[in-house]
This record gives sequence, C-alpha cells and structure tokens, in this order.
Amino acid sequence: MPDQQRATLWRHVQRWRGVVIIGVMGAITLWLAAVGQLVLYIHPRYILFTVIMSAIAVAAAVLALASPRQHDDEAVAPPSRRSRAVSLAAAGLAVAFTVGMVLIPPATLSTATAEQREINATASDDAETLAAASVADAETVAAFTVREWSTVLRQTSDLAFFDDKPVTALLGFVTADADDPENTFYVSRFAVTCCAVDAQPLGVPVHLPGWAEQYPPDTWVQVSGAFESNPSRTGTQPVVLVPTVVEVVDQPSEPYLF
Amino acid sequence: MTQTTAEQHAGHDHGSAPVRRRARGVHVAWAVGATVVLVALVAVRAVTAETGPWGIPNPVQDLLTLSTSVIIESLPFIMLGIVLSVLVQVWIPESWLLRILPRNPWGRRAVISLFGMFLPVCECGNVPLARGLVRRGFTVPESMTFLIAAPILNPVTIITTHQAFGFDDGILIARLLGGFAIANILGWLFSKHPQPMSLLSGRFAEECRLDDGHGHDRTRREQSLDLFVRESSILMPALVIGSLIAGAIQVIVPRDVLVALGSDPLYSVLAMMVLAFIISVCSNVDAFFILPFASTFLPGSIVTFLVFGPIVDIKMLALMRTTYSTRTLVQLTTIVALLSLALGLVVNYLA
Repeated sequence: MPDQQRATLWRHVQRWRGVVIIGVMGAITLWLAAVGQLVLYIHPRYILFTVIMSAIAVAAAVLALASPRQHDDEAVAPPSRRSRAVSLAAAGLAVAFTVGMVLIPPATLSTATAEQREINATASDDAETLAAASVADAETVAAFTVREWSTVLRQTSDLAFFDDKPVTALLGFVTADADDPENTFYVSRFAVTCCAVDAQPLGVPVHLPGWAEQYPPDTWVQVSGAFESNPSRTGTQPVVLVPTVVEVVDQPSEPYLF
Repeated sequence: MTQTTAEQHAGHDHGSAPVRRRARGVHVAWAVGATVVLVALVAVRAVTAETGPWGIPNPVQDLLTLSTSVIIESLPFIMLGIVLSVLVQVWIPESWLLRILPRNPWGRRAVISLFGMFLPVCECGNVPLARGLVRRGFTVPESMTFLIAAPILNPVTIITTHQAFGFDDGILIARLLGGFAIANILGWLFSKHPQPMSLLSGRFAEECRLDDGHGHDRTRREQSLDLFVRESSILMPALVIGSLIAGAIQVIVPRDVLVALGSDPLYSVLAMMVLAFIISVCSNVDAFFILPFASTFLPGSIVTFLVFGPIVDIKMLALMRTTYSTRTLVQLTTIVALLSLALGLVVNYLA
C-alpha cells in the first residue's frame, strides 16, 4: 500500500472508531436492558440512567455517520508511522472487545472470582442483622438468603440460636471450601452494591462428603437442612449446614444479591 | 433532522440543486445503513446469547464480565460528559463562563473547582469537559483543578457518600475538604510551569491550535456532532483498554492480600490506594463499593480511597493520557498520591 493510502486509512480509522464503538456498545446495552440481563453488570438502580444515555449514544452515532464530513483533519500532517501503528492497535483491540460483546454470551461471575476474593471477607451492618434474625418468625427465616445466613454465622456459633431456625431452599452456586474441599462446599452468591466490579462473595458452608461428584463447582443449587457443629477436622467453620435436600436448579435471572 | 443538516451542508459547499439533492441522498443512505447495521448486530447478539457456553475458562470469562461491567458503568457518564462538553463549547456563550470568574488566580481556581456542583458527572465524564474548557481558553492548570475537584465536589457524589457513611468519622467532610485542597494545590503547582501548553499531549495540543479560527461557517448542530465524533474517537479506545487492564488485574491479584492490611494506620492507607488504583470505579458510586470495607479498615484509609480513586486509577490514567503528556501524568500521580497519603494519615491519627 502506498504511503498516501495508508495515511488515509489511518485517518478514517482515527475518525470513526469511537463512533462505531459507542454506537454498538449503546445498542448492546439497550438489548441487555430489554432482555433483563443488564443486572449481570450493574445494580438495578442505575438501569434507567444507563438506558437513557445509551439511547442518546446510539442516536448521536447514527446522526454523526449521516452528517456532513468536516475535512479539516486532512490539513494536519499525519504522525509518525510508529504512533500510527500504536493508534491502530488500540482501535483494533477496542473494536475486538466490542465484537466480543456482540458474540460472547453474557455471563455472571464464577467461582474463579469467588475464590480469588475470599468468601465472607467483608460485611457491614452485622449486629443489626443478628438482632433482627433472633426475633424473626418462621416465615421470615424461611426467606433468608445467603446474605442473612452468612452474616448470622459470622456473629454467632451458638447452636441453640439455630435450633428453631431450619434452612429452607437456600439458593446459590457451589464453591469449594478452601480448608476442607473434600467434605465442605459453600452455597454462595455475589453481593453487588454498584456493579459487578465490586461483587463480594458471600456463602454458607454445607457439609456433604463427596459433594463434588454430584454438584460440581458453579452448579446452582437449592439446599434445605439444619445448622450443626462442624464434623470436619480440617474445616475452620464452627457451624455448618447439614443438608437434607440438595436440588440442582437453573441459574436465576438475577444471580447477584442487591 | 438529518435532511436539514444535509441541505445546509450542501448549501455551504456547493449550491447547485442537483448536487444538493445527491448530497442529501448520500446522508440519508448513511443514516439508514447505520441503523440497519445496528439492528442486525442486535439480532446477532440475540441469537448468539442462546448458543450457550463457549467453553471459555472461568478466569477469562470473569475478566470479560468485569471489564464489561466497568464499561457499562462508565459509558453513560462518558456520554453525559460529552453532551455537557458540547454544551459548554458550542451552545453556551463564551462570556458566561469567563464573566463569573474572579481575576486573582487562587480565586479563579477555587471557583473552577466548584464547577462540579452544576455538572454532576463522575471522573470519566469530566475528561471531555476538561478538554472542552481548555479549548474554551482556560489554562491547562485550571483544567486540572477542575478535573480533580469536580468528581468529588458534585451533588451526586456528595449524596451517595452521605448515604453510605452519614457523618461518621468525618469521612464525608474529609473527602470534600481533601478533594478541594488537593485540586487547588495541584493547580497552583502546575501554574508555576513556564510553558503550560507543553503539559498537554502532542495530539491534543495540535487540536487546540487548529480550533482557532475554525468552525465559524458551520451550524451548531454540525459542530456538535463533529465534537461527538472527535471526543468518542479519543475516549472510547482509552476506556476499553483501561477497563480491560482493570479487569485483568482484579482477576490476578488476590483481594485478601489487601484486606489483611486493614487495621494498620500506615499500611491500611497504602492498601486502599492500591485498591482504588486497580478497581477503577466511578466517583459517583465508589462510596457504596467501599462501605463493606469500613468495618475492617481505618477511617483514614477509607478517606484516602475516596479522594485518591476519583483522581488516579487505571481507567482514568488511560483517559487522561488522551489530553495530558505522560510526563505530566507521572508528576500528577506522584503529587496526588503523596497528598492523599498525608490526608489519610492525618485522619487516622485524629479519628
């Protein structure tokens, strides 16, 4: 390719890459919102704002493509070949990622992140949750999610507390317990406060020797049972859930806890 | 809308009726073509969503999910920033902005650092706005003062920080005062530079030079769309690359390494600076992000996270590089890191 053509190509890429990326990403975001999968990436409270701004982005991208070209950038001497190459590479990577957003199915975070961020590493409002749980009626207890149970477990290992509080259909995905991977797994969920970036893994330890054969990691399950003291020798949790029923279920449409 | 633009454009450049008609046809064809392509892409997306797992390994899949999440969270703010930047550059008369500013440089920078109160944009949206201010005749140090103060001193950030922390441990007050002080100190330091224009990246300086005496023969709508094209072209690749790096580092660096440092007065502050740097979350929402850490980390380190994060992080450095030179960014990062470290230590020893 002669130098002149190469410079023209560079100028076209330089000019249009942003419009193409922002237009396509805006359209994909609108689709995610339409099929209810935007919650895989951001907290529901930002959906309206995100949808409005994405619609503006799509409209602006279409109008910009259709509007007359201003040719003032042709007056500028093109930069050196090296900086053109860097610029093209950046555009290539960004466009490749955009294509990935079109082709690769949207997904929730997996056990890889749960293990890397360490389950139950952080939490807030512990004391309030415990106080509320100790006076909760049976119906409320049956509706407890991984968030309530994991908070309670961090606060107390008093078995009497759990006597009249059975676990009913606790939903989450399976993550191995790092301390006793043979016999214990966590029913885990990610708690999201703003977007998937800040997802904090929460989990309730379940004692079920040989669990991995039936319920491999990342499987979504519903577990019912009762809390008992941990029979495991290597496990660090004083109290674990001993299941009566473990049922494999589909991934819920809102996999994170908000 | 498109047709009017096309007509005006054709009128400027050519004038004869057949040419004008043809030009209008071309623009309508582009608009229709772009819409068809977008609809087709969404259709492809709907089909490929059903094809199930591709056998992508978990860490790679999580890297994509995390990066996409950073992008989807930032995209609306970038778009809002571009819209406000277009308003400031094209639609608001120049005299408005310059008239309200005091003459004295400290006073000027102090007022500029409060611009954020009227522009509820987080840091990524402020990059196009800061570029717009430089084009509008503000000095480079003034644009930095704005860029650093506005994501912290803006109503949305103040409300979310108050929702998360209330007035506990002086976190909210320290964040606001600290952000204001750092922005003004940094603006003052850079105003001592003998050649402020050399602080800019070569390409942006060139654009600013070209702007002079240009665009007067074009309609405001044409100018607005042109600015949208230019700003998105500069910012979108930077956003994608910044988000990819931020996602990759989060997949690689174990979180518990940082959490273990939480109760030491010095190391907790340093750990929070590292966390803020890699997490790259927008200032409007970062208070919610850091809230679960408040029980394990000292208040000073939380304040450092809330002040350092909006100014310097991976995504933000990628975005700022579109405007300032690498050398400038190294200086800026060093100064801001030292000042926010000092701020965190002071709060830790006082609280």
